[in-house]
Amino acid sequence: MELQVNGRKVYAATGGKEFDAKLPTVLFIHGSGLDHRSWALQTRWFAYNGYSVLAPDFPGHSLSEGDALTSIEAQGQWLVDFLDAANVNRVHAVGHSQGFLCALELAKNAAGKVASLSGIGTAAAIPVNPALIETALESSSKAADLMLQWGFGQNAQMGISAVPGMQPIAIGRQIMVSNPLAVDLQACANYESGETVAESLNIPTQLVLAGQDRMTPLKAGKAMAKTMNAEVTVIDNYGHMLPIEAPKRCLQSLRDFIGSIEHSE
Amino acid sequence: MAKSSYLKPDTIALHSGYVPESDHGSRAVPVYQTTSYVFESVSDASSLFNVEQGGHIYSRITNPTVAVLEQRIAALEGGSGAICTASGMSALFTTFITLCSAGDHIVSSAQIYGSTATLLKHTIKRLGIECSFVPINDEKALREAIQDNTKMVFCESIGNPGLEIADIPNIAKVAHEFGIPVVVDATFATPALCRPIEHGADIIVHSVTKWIGGHGVAVGGVIVDGGQLDWSASGRFPELTEPYAPFHGIKFWEEFGPSALAMKIRAESMRDVGATLSPHNAFLILQGIETLSLRMKQHVANAHTMVEWLQAQEEVTWVNHPEMESSPSHHLAPVLFPEGAGSMLCFGVVGGRAGGAAFINALQLASNLANVGDSRTLVLHPGSTTHSRLTPEDMIAAGISEDMIRVSVGIEDIKDIKADFQRGFKAASRIAGEG
Repeated sequence: MELQVNGRKVYAATGGKEFDAKLPTVLFIHGSGLDHRSWALQTRWFAYNGYSVLAPDFPGHSLSEGDALTSIEAQGQWLVDFLDAANVNRVHAVGHSQGFLCALELAKNAAGKVASLSGIGTAAAIPVNPALIETALESSSKAADLMLQWGFGQNAQMGISAVPGMQPIAIGRQIMVSNPLAVDLQACANYESGETVAESLNIPTQLVLAGQDRMTPLKAGKAMAKTMNAEVTVIDNYGHMLPIEAPKRCLQSLRDFIGSIEHSE
Repeated sequence: MAKSSYLKPDTIALHSGYVPESDHGSRAVPVYQTTSYVFESVSDASSLFNVEQGGHIYSRITNPTVAVLEQRIAALEGGSGAICTASGMSALFTTFITLCSAGDHIVSSAQIYGSTATLLKHTIKRLGIECSFVPINDEKALREAIQDNTKMVFCESIGNPGLEIADIPNIAKVAHEFGIPVVVDATFATPALCRPIEHGADIIVHSVTKWIGGHGVAVGGVIVDGGQLDWSASGRFPELTEPYAPFHGIKFWEEFGPSALAMKIRAESMRDVGATLSPHNAFLILQGIETLSLRMKQHVANAHTMVEWLQAQEEVTWVNHPEMESSPSHHLAPVLFPEGAGSMLCFGVVGGRAGGAAFINALQLASNLANVGDSRTLVLHPGSTTHSRLTPEDMIAAGISEDMIRVSVGIEDIKDIKADFQRGFKAASRIAGEG
């Protein structure tokens, strides 16, 4: 669906079903250089199984207008504005990588709106090699290639796909080269408040971490889980791009965790 | 450029799409000879049917063995996904009907395979889809042929049998100005020699029956989605951008982006038309694809030798190969086919049509048959066979003459191929002498 946020057109995927604010809402927040399409294999299930889904493209990404936001703090505040624009008061926030840092900022700014937090392939800090940012500024294609070689685990590198006939690396690459990757990476690199914000929150949290994650290593993810007293699911044999690489297992973790919170209330 | 893998092509051809399965550790890709797949639960079945997750439902739609081949070819071509079909022709038909509806229009190269020409000129016309044929490298003609309802530009990377190289970068430049995709039948080249997506093409079609299989034992086809085109930009493709009723109003472009076309083909055409590649044929094609680049190197080397040798034979009246300077598109070969422009060649022999027939009948090693791309050398007289349904005018437009002999140069020892052809030349000479 399309809506106006701060005077600019914003697109949010709704999982193939019309958004209904009366249902429990799951907010999917994409990672660096990605957009709503990285959640294609999670959003439809939620939309067709009792939830409403919002998977927005951040400004300047995919189908959303505007300039890309240059800090995680700004992206977190934008999510607050986005939820206000969508007239949503309560969400289960799901973030991949950088998207989870944005979720932390959302929760910091509007704790009352966040029923739960789910982080996928993430950590409290996501340092980015300055050379990668420089490369991204010169060529998003080259930077995407570097990231995807690191980001996808061994199975995806061998052409294994959760969706028969598809090539996740090519799909990820096409998405990345069309988005402002350099700005996102710079925002990640500059963000230093992750641990402090994580410590300050008292929201049910789970982290779904990848055994072969070379971008947000498992150790860093587990450290944040300890800080947040979060439930942890480790998916072995996959890399950083879990929502695309291991969509079914990601979905299962999200279903179980979000479902348990909904049913406990 | 849509890279699908960071492995090198020779490694992709052997490994991509499969790692040894956990139950038995089978090193080779197993043949999943099954029609259907047990669902974990009713809700699991429901979510598969509603495209909420990937997986297998029924082998008309997907099959694990076929999927390995699809993913391997997608990786070799640099595409976002691939759909295998029962034949190269069904791959073309599926592509056409996925993107075109009644009232739509296609611009096609005039120099294409005879059955494809028939499909475009007659069969899909009955469905209300019109086609204009143009000299594909004539930019003015191409521009003038594109209409408001045009949905694609179609060509073969190397035309059959005229062997004209399509100027893919320029064709793509023109087509993309109008927001329409370029569909390339790249059968004659295979991804070992040319990857059209890297040159701007959007959709690649192969008859995998030919060089990709190489053994001549299994018929099959494939469609590769390049994943690069913005299907919404031109407003010409409501099939992909507007709600699709059979799947609760799914919008393929919004939901799947770079794999929108492949997902649509899977969801619609494989379901409704069902031109499915059998798992056993997929397994056979996989055996061939493992050695694709090695075979193509030898095909090209033998073709180069034959071109040179044929030009020196007094019974040969003319020779055509895409890399020959006499070919109007030869300048494109180093750009698009740096490893060689395939192993198809054509020539004429003394004695005209009868001489050509005598040549073919005298051969003992090369096979006279309606196929190309076997590891074995194959010959054919197109005017009597594959292109016999064309009018004389269409034959000329397709680059065919009555005396043309089409050769798919195999990977036998070159000396044996030459010796066999010498038998044919003697027979043709006798006919010419009688004339």
